[in-house]
Amino acid sequence: MRPGVRSTVDRLDAPSAYYHSRNNKRRRNDLGRDGKDGRDGDIDMADAKVDEPPEDPLKNATTLYVGNLSFYTTEEQVYELFSKCGEIKRLVMGLDRFQKTPCGFCFVEYYTHQDALDCMKYIGGTKLDERVIRTDLDPGFEEGRQYGRGKSGGQVRDEYRDDFDEGRGGLGRAIQSERMRESERNRERDNHHEDDYGRLR
Amino acid sequence: MADYDRRQPGGGGGGSGGGGYNSRKRRYRASGSSSSFTSLPVLSSGAVRRRIVGSRVADGLSLDDDEYDRRPQRRRYDAPLPVRIRKQLLGLAESPLRRWHEEVQSIAQVIAESHEDQELQTSFLDLVPQMVLEQPLKIPFVAAVVLVVNSLKPALLDPLLARITSVTEERAREGEWRDVKLYLKFLACLQSCLEGDGLFPVLDELFSRAVDLQTASSDDTIGTELVKIILLTIPYILAAAPSTESEQKAAELMDKTDIIASEPHALQILIDPYHTEKGTESPVANSSLIGLLQKQLQNEASNGWPLSCLPRPWRMPLEEIEQQEKLDNAQKHALPTISLPEKVTTGPRPLFPEIYYSVYIHQDVESVPPASNVASSVIRDALLDTINVLHFNRNVTARFLIDADCYFAPGTFIKRATPFDRLRDMDGDRSSWKPEDVAVDAVFSQLFQLPTPEHKLVYYHSVLTEACKIAPAAIAPSLGRAIRYCYQNTYRLDLELSYRFLDWFTHHLSNFGFMWKWTEWVEDVNLPDMHPCKSLILGALDKEIRLSFAQRIKGTLPEPYQALIGPEKEQDTPEFKFNNEHTPFSAEGKELAALLKRKVPDEEIQPVIDRIHSAALDQSIDPLVTSTDVFMTAVCWVGSKSLSHVLACIERTKDRLLDAGAASEAARAQIITAVINYWSAHPGVAISIIEKLLNYSIVTPGAVIDWALVGDCAGPYGQALSKAWVFELVFHTVVKVTGRLRQVVKGGVTEGVQEEITAMRELFKTMDDALVSWAQGTKDQLMDPVVSDGGEDLVKRWGERWLRVFRRRSAIEEAFLNENQTPT
Repeated sequence: MRPGVRSTVDRLDAPSAYYHSRNNKRRRNDLGRDGKDGRDGDIDMADAKVDEPPEDPLKNATTLYVGNLSFYTTEEQVYELFSKCGEIKRLVMGLDRFQKTPCGFCFVEYYTHQDALDCMKYIGGTKLDERVIRTDLDPGFEEGRQYGRGKSGGQVRDEYRDDFDEGRGGLGRAIQSERMRESERNRERDNHHEDDYGRLR
Repeated sequence: MADYDRRQPGGGGGGSGGGGYNSRKRRYRASGSSSSFTSLPVLSSGAVRRRIVGSRVADGLSLDDDEYDRRPQRRRYDAPLPVRIRKQLLGLAESPLRRWHEEVQSIAQVIAESHEDQELQTSFLDLVPQMVLEQPLKIPFVAAVVLVVNSLKPALLDPLLARITSVTEERAREGEWRDVKLYLKFLACLQSCLEGDGLFPVLDELFSRAVDLQTASSDDTIGTELVKIILLTIPYILAAAPSTESEQKAAELMDKTDIIASEPHALQILIDPYHTEKGTESPVANSSLIGLLQKQLQNEASNGWPLSCLPRPWRMPLEEIEQQEKLDNAQKHALPTISLPEKVTTGPRPLFPEIYYSVYIHQDVESVPPASNVASSVIRDALLDTINVLHFNRNVTARFLIDADCYFAPGTFIKRATPFDRLRDMDGDRSSWKPEDVAVDAVFSQLFQLPTPEHKLVYYHSVLTEACKIAPAAIAPSLGRAIRYCYQNTYRLDLELSYRFLDWFTHHLSNFGFMWKWTEWVEDVNLPDMHPCKSLILGALDKEIRLSFAQRIKGTLPEPYQALIGPEKEQDTPEFKFNNEHTPFSAEGKELAALLKRKVPDEEIQPVIDRIHSAALDQSIDPLVTSTDVFMTAVCWVGSKSLSHVLACIERTKDRLLDAGAASEAARAQIITAVINYWSAHPGVAISIIEKLLNYSIVTPGAVIDWALVGDCAGPYGQALSKAWVFELVFHTVVKVTGRLRQVVKGGVTEGVQEEITAMRELFKTMDDALVSWAQGTKDQLMDPVVSDGGEDLVKRWGERWLRVFRRRSAIEEAFLNENQTPT
């Protein structure tokens, strides 16, 4: 369709609501509330440029943020799938800030904008390594963005998840450490019990 | 909609494809539409209401919940009229629960009544042509709305006709022939309200252009495309305005198209999806699309044009006799002239003749329309346009495919998801066409389209994935039969298509838990590796492993297959052969690896290389080849952790590798050999690395071709030809070369272009020479009876199949150059 005309059907290659809401939030509140939306390694928009006329940073984007990967998905697997949309120029795996192990996201950079759009249309929302992955257009990778920004080093969304997701390290990490502390306490109590039983015997 | 898994597809502006899963949303939509039906006669709005109540009960919601729910009150907000009409138009015919004539009338009435509402009229004028292009399956229904509007308010039609004819002209100028076809199809449905011969003069004009083009050149493809458009428009005219005059005009036109349509096109042999052995005929030898169409239409004509699959939403049921009379006596309009451009052009996509391909046509029971029936072409055409137009939303595409039966005449298809086995028990005169087979067939015809389909292949993968997600019980068995057909016919399929099938099959399985009934092919496990079926199995397992991991895939396979996945495939990092003391140059290998790990400067590496050189000279083996093997293998081993690691390592050592590669042909080949040997259990990784080495120009495309096809490196006695990954490696390399050349030519750069063209031609020449010798059995290795194991015929056949693929590639590139190159 000609530009400017709304299609009678939604397009899958538009940037997500997340991207826009994030940018707006930044504009309103410069402090930013990192990761509140559940996605890490996100754009550090240069604060100074905020007032300039809005040149769409995604107009020629060749990079995609890829989310909801399993921690065990390898670069080779990502290559195999994402090459179906065009040759990959660069692949940056998202890493745990502390352990430097994959933490469930990556950036895929193509040579052309069209390949990136096609990837949004044809690969976003399909499965890789038996997980439905999510893709989002991205203005481009910058050093530092490969690291998770959650408290424990991974992605923020993995902090407070209360579902058990085996591919992403089980329960949310904050919940896990909470449970760990709890079971520690329980064990101490159980030890007392054992002592008590012993005494009874 | 990247976060589509969290959101409903199609909702909001989408119109189609929305709704369905979320009961809250559905109730909202239902109540929304019932309120917008207020202008309807009491009878039909009552019917609508009853149906809604019925569906609520069916949903298991108690009426009490609804009665005391306060939410509907808030929802009684009425969207502005234009918005409501837009929504209703977009949703036309989507639901099998609504009756066509009610929908059509209700929309038309609002439009006719609000003829003074500027906003509504503008939006209607904009939306109709847009819908025609974007939702081709709904064309007859949109036309029906327009016809009813004409019966109520004829003045509204003139601006619409003016708009449609002017955009048709515009698209014809741009060479956007599909758009032209769609607009003409729409106008054909309006034939009954056009004065005189209506659309026929336009078709006559198109035909005279086609004749000019065809007389000028037998290779011409625009002329055949125009004839296709004519033939696909005729049935809609006859369905919309059946009359003896129409039949007469159609017969005259078809008399004329016969010469062009019945003559096999010169290029047809090039794009035949089958590549049969000598002496056997391709199953689609007589299936040129326009040839079939011509026959099908003649067939229809001799039966009085029943055209039983086409929907006729403009025909009112008996109880609407008044409306029918109004339609029959509605005012007629002169169709504004559509002038075709002086010089017709191909447009942005190169045109090729088309072949009607079906994976279901061979079955003993008809699950798709036979090639003798016009339904096969008409339905396929509408589905293909839908698929290719809606590339930007595969969910909606899949929805349309699943709902295909909604857009054709009732009774065209059997009930959805009827098991194939049940088709046998059907009464003689009822249709046994399965809507899901027809849909899957259409997608497969694109996957198997030569030279290439309109969009990237992965788009068609994704459409099948979505369709399978929406209606697994209906689609999955159909896919199963399609897969079986492709597997059984892989031996005579064009090799490029065989590879496409492999790629789709494994990608599809990866989206559905790698579930496949491998037991069916268990007997083929023991075939020789070079047998086409075994080759496919081996290729599929490798591709599956690439998308997953060996252990997982092993878990999906029956026992006889287990041996095909050796322990080396389960190992993430292959062994470093120099860690074995008995490997020659083991010490140097380990030392180089240690140096590379420490990222030392190149000067520290040179002494080790020198040592290898002198030792090699002592043993009178090629020093450079020896050192290259040790070095490249060490690079692979040091970078074995991930592609990033090996790419970083190559980046650091690229000067050394460039020098080695430039020094001799043997060294270039050794670089490839080292990579492939190291990653022999995981050819996918090797291919990725070689692709990057090509980018760095460390290896040349010619070296890859030599390595794979000439030097016997990829497998002795022609076995390389049967390996899917070797085909992939060579194919990607060729695509890289031709893709780059195209970019340069299109970019208008003239400097160095001639050199690149020469290089490309040389590459194709090398391939041709190598493959011819395999295909004709003149290759030395083949002729030596001592080493060959009786598989000569298999090798020759593989050679032929390879040859066809790359000769076609070469021909297509030459054609591209012919068209795009400014004469120098």
